[in-house]
Amino acid sequence: MTRQDIEREVIAVFHREFEIDNPDFDADLRETYEFDSIDAIELLLAIETFLGEEISQAEKKQAIGIRTIRQICDYIETLAKKRDLFSPA
Amino acid sequence: MERRVVITAMSAITPIGYGKDRIVSSLLNGVSGVRPLREEEFLSPFIHCKVYGTVEDPIAYDFTRNQRKTMGPVAYYACQVAKEVLEQSGLKDDFIRSGRLGVAFGSIHGSPTVQRNIYRIFFGARDKIAIKEIGAVDYLKSMVHTTAANITKMFGITGRVISSGTACTTSSQSIGFGYEAVKFGLQDAMLCGGADEYDTTTVAVFDNLLACSTAFNETPQKTPRPFDKDRDGLVVGEGAGAVLLEEYEFAKKRGADILGEVVGFYCNNNGGDMILPNLKGITNTLKYGTESAKIPPRDVDLISAHATATKMGDIIEAQAIHDVFGDHPYVVGLKSYTGHTMAACGAIETIMTLYMMREGFIAPTLNLDAVDERCAMIRHVRQVIEHPVRLAAVQNFAFGGVNTILFIKKFS
Repeated sequence: MTRQDIEREVIAVFHREFEIDNPDFDADLRETYEFDSIDAIELLLAIETFLGEEISQAEKKQAIGIRTIRQICDYIETLAKKRDLFSPA
Repeated sequence: MERRVVITAMSAITPIGYGKDRIVSSLLNGVSGVRPLREEEFLSPFIHCKVYGTVEDPIAYDFTRNQRKTMGPVAYYACQVAKEVLEQSGLKDDFIRSGRLGVAFGSIHGSPTVQRNIYRIFFGARDKIAIKEIGAVDYLKSMVHTTAANITKMFGITGRVISSGTACTTSSQSIGFGYEAVKFGLQDAMLCGGADEYDTTTVAVFDNLLACSTAFNETPQKTPRPFDKDRDGLVVGEGAGAVLLEEYEFAKKRGADILGEVVGFYCNNNGGDMILPNLKGITNTLKYGTESAKIPPRDVDLISAHATATKMGDIIEAQAIHDVFGDHPYVVGLKSYTGHTMAACGAIETIMTLYMMREGFIAPTLNLDAVDERCAMIRHVRQVIEHPVRLAAVQNFAFGGVNTILFIKKFS
């Protein structure tokens, strides 16, 4: 998967799961989109489905500080690289 | 400190209509909300009872995603009536969020639709990933206080939360405990009620106990038949009801429309059998209820009986009413219209009673074609009566031996 694939999937998840269209990648999710702890858990489940692999508890804890969609994409990219799922092109 | 407690808003979603006009019209015209049981793959083929008190009026929900995400069907009902009650009340947002308003609201067991889906995933799972189909919010949708919690979340209510889950007395306890909270100065207002969603599990439970009506499957509107000699059991139903209780001086000062006054509540337990109706327990409820409210039994004009149309339940209730109130008050079994709306019944029947009180009529018990002679010692309502109701009692009894009585007075 490429960075473009990740961003496309995140946009699709935000549309499908959170009814948010054309999200601002740098907006604070909590302040701008009323994102809360429940949404964060739903998002992690969606990421697991996208990767097709379980995310470990330690990896999930790394997501606690995420505040923006760009950071979500960075987080997925890191997980994908660790699993040899990422291709830079 | 004992303060007067008044009702300043109410709303109900019922099998005989959603909103006052539809409900009053159904009561005046003898319209039943009992319909054929919907077929589904899980339980309905095995249930002997094929009827259900069904909500059919369309409801235009306009909840946001953030509100919807923790709501199962039961919370949709609860939040809708709560929303209407708060809008109707005219209470300002700063009061609603101040901590002076609390919530007393319940259902019999959260959302059975969501619970059923969890079990379907759980027992059908073949691998670890499949379990992840159980949503992160499924507990929030199915927990027993899901109605109360979603109401507080939706409106930012920060006062106390009471969430009774006492089966058929759930919402009469909500109103009763809410009344006590305001009366004794613990809160200045309480949003009270109950809700239950369409659920065949509940039908299956009562069906197994031989408590459901089965003889009128082809003519749903002919059942249930409280106090009738041909009654053959209860009919499960769905719905929701909510009332806003306020301290009288506060309501008066802000110019609220006062719809009625709660002047008494009593609750006890039979202290024994969990299912069978208990004459002594119920008689004590009515007796101690009138005594604690300092109401002479003769002053009660109308009794909304629990009257589920079970063989023994109606006889015991009629005897208890006669023992305490004599044959003076009119008695109506409102479940004859709606079926037994479970956690919602106390609130819905209180609201129907208030509608009748305000409109000056008493609706008859539906399907009461021939009174069972063992229930004949009380004053049944057989046709619509134009009659002023100044003081009414709303009675509800539940599995587990829980009994309640509420006293509602016309406000003057």
